[in-house]
Amino acid sequence: MRLNTFPGGIHSPTFKEFTATKPIKEFPFPSRVVLPLLQHTGAPLSPLVKKGDRVKRGQKIADVEAFISAPLHSPLAGKVAGIEDYFHPLLGRFPALTIENDGSGEEERKDPLCDIENKDPAFLREWIREGGMVGLGGAAFPTHVKVSPPPGKKIDTFILNGAECEPYLTCDYRVMIERSSAILIGLRVLVKACGAERVFIGIEENKIEAIEKFDKLVKDLPFPARVVPLLTKYPQGSEKQLIVAILGREVPPGGLPLDVGVVVNNVQTAWAVGRMAEEGLPLIERVITLSGECLKSPENLQVPLGTVLSDLVDFCGGWVETPKKVIMGGPMMGVAQTSLQVPVVKGTSGFVFLSNLYEKKEYPCIRCRRCIDACPMRLFPTMLGKFSEYQAFDEARDQRVLDCMECGACSYVCPSNISLTHLIRLAKAEVMRRSRKGGNQ
Amino acid sequence: MNEELKLVITSSPHLRDEITVPWIMRQVVLALLPATIWGIYFFGVSSTLLTILLSVGSTMGFEALNCKIFKKPLSITDGSAVITGLLLGLSLPPSAPFWLPLVGGGAAIFLGKEMFGGLGQNIFNPALVGRAVLLVSWPKAMSTWWVSAPFGFSGFSGGGAASTFSGVEMVTTPTPLSIAQMYGYSSLHQADPRILWRLFVGQVPGSIGEISALLLLIGFVYLWWRGVVHWDIPLSYFVGLSCVAILGGQSALFHILSGGAIMGACFMATDYVTSPISSKGRYIFGLGAGAITGVIRLLGAYPEGVTFGILTMNALVPFLDYLLPPRFGVKNQMVKEEKI
Repeated sequence: MRLNTFPGGIHSPTFKEFTATKPIKEFPFPSRVVLPLLQHTGAPLSPLVKKGDRVKRGQKIADVEAFISAPLHSPLAGKVAGIEDYFHPLLGRFPALTIENDGSGEEERKDPLCDIENKDPAFLREWIREGGMVGLGGAAFPTHVKVSPPPGKKIDTFILNGAECEPYLTCDYRVMIERSSAILIGLRVLVKACGAERVFIGIEENKIEAIEKFDKLVKDLPFPARVVPLLTKYPQGSEKQLIVAILGREVPPGGLPLDVGVVVNNVQTAWAVGRMAEEGLPLIERVITLSGECLKSPENLQVPLGTVLSDLVDFCGGWVETPKKVIMGGPMMGVAQTSLQVPVVKGTSGFVFLSNLYEKKEYPCIRCRRCIDACPMRLFPTMLGKFSEYQAFDEARDQRVLDCMECGACSYVCPSNISLTHLIRLAKAEVMRRSRKGGNQ
Repeated sequence: MNEELKLVITSSPHLRDEITVPWIMRQVVLALLPATIWGIYFFGVSSTLLTILLSVGSTMGFEALNCKIFKKPLSITDGSAVITGLLLGLSLPPSAPFWLPLVGGGAAIFLGKEMFGGLGQNIFNPALVGRAVLLVSWPKAMSTWWVSAPFGFSGFSGGGAASTFSGVEMVTTPTPLSIAQMYGYSSLHQADPRILWRLFVGQVPGSIGEISALLLLIGFVYLWWRGVVHWDIPLSYFVGLSCVAILGGQSALFHILSGGAIMGACFMATDYVTSPISSKGRYIFGLGAGAITGVIRLLGAYPEGVTFGILTMNALVPFLDYLLPPRFGVKNQMVKEEKI
């Protein structure tokens, strides 16, 4: 099999064996869900309900006027118990709606979407936004923005991202195997919405079952489509690297895939869109992976948004080892959590529970170039790290620090165990702060 | 599940590769072992082992001393001092006086490394700094080659003096490079038509660890296979050296195989700390170091130019580091368009 890939990157153990063969289980409705008012990249939402209101499953409960935003829907039928600050997996604390399950199971469903190919793209984009769709790969960028080509720009290619390169995570893989027909419907909606002429489905070659499945299914699509097997390498699922691997095009600095005529969406996003087209349910549930050596029974779960992590841990049978680190997302780009009270948000691809943390002695940089070879953005992480350490932020900016997407490959390979990604993150924040101020203060 | 957990909070990534600095240093030492063992066997234990041990001992000792004086944590466990000492020892002539490796080790560690701030901070390859100090201070001691009788070159001046070390009959002999410098390469080839083969396998006297091109290359291939080194610098070094040799009307292969060229290109010019991090810079670095080596060999007062060739290019590394590859996404290359 010929495998496409991008230059750079790392080969780390995938740790996917914990959950790769475990079918998706549907998590029962919890007694309450906590829904932060910011679950996507963009503007925070304002609640459309108030404390004490009754809401139905699928009812829109928060929205905002801004273009880069996506509304929020209730994953449960029940009562709004409060709107107050609560744990947020990325932001520390953030205002959140708490909804208590009343057991009635009342639902508000949209009409199924038929005759997709004859719909107006603008209508479909609005329909996608109303469904609260965001990228479910992790970044949670609003999907309707991704499929809206700017005036004068032509989208020629749609890429469905089934790479799932983060270690431990298998939710996309399971969705590809078990929810493939809904993915194809969502794919048709997304393709029609952005106006692409052809589709590539990028899947890493360690997910052979998914590759074979989609190889057969793509023939029935109303547009040319092909599965592209990818080399198993991190960060193959990064949007820019996926476009390089499949099309050889490079997204310009600060740009979007739209700038090179491409739209990339995650397979799970396509599933969520397809599910809304079939069943009329907006984005109120997603599939996540719970994994790591600490869990008694690691699982792939379809969970309502807002489910609190401690409930999920109970479902997985608790610990076999006490975790020392809890990560939302994969271990490469995921965020370490302070509490088991965090809720599942739209961008949650999973939780990883680790007890064997790496122990690696720190040494001075020996300029071995491993970080440079690993960097998929052709940066010199060691140089940027030193600039950051010496607070030479203008030099860091001149050496393209803002091109860094914080994939973590440099820190991973560093034999001196220098936290390059962290240093670069600090430099990026400072460079952005200075550019906002418009001066070099 | 509401029990309190004590959770570690760090920023991503939360995984690390297993490769560490001491692991890398061990690989380099391993890669040098075949050439080291051959050197000891070829010249005899009595005239080599002590030199190597004193060299490694002095670099480690001086580094420990430096840590003590400047109240730094003991850094010899990172393994870099061992490599410096080994490289220095292997670049000394057999039967060198005992104080030569000691002085060289001190110069390498203090002048070459610690004065710049220790591991990772030095501009010049420490082993070569040590060697350069010895070369300019004691040129005679550094270019007198005592070898056991059958391996020497007869018929050229420089050969002839005889002595006895630990009961073994020894003679001094000129190296092929000094013969080539004094009499021309053709006379050397006439004296020994199989000179290139003997240089390749390591049957021609030279510095302790530099005689067998074959074993050094095996070591280098091992390092490359282990992902420790890249072939770009050695290759461009040989290209640079060959160009100068050919321009000077001499055999390129002879210049690559003789003296410290292989050792220099594969183990000294590729030193992480003192070679450029940028890919373009590395080619320029190698070409320059090889070319300067050739120019010194052909035109300079010294028969050998590896040391000063590499040291000169070391000085340019801070500049070469800035030759970054093209920025991602700036030239929108549409190279390998996939078809459905």
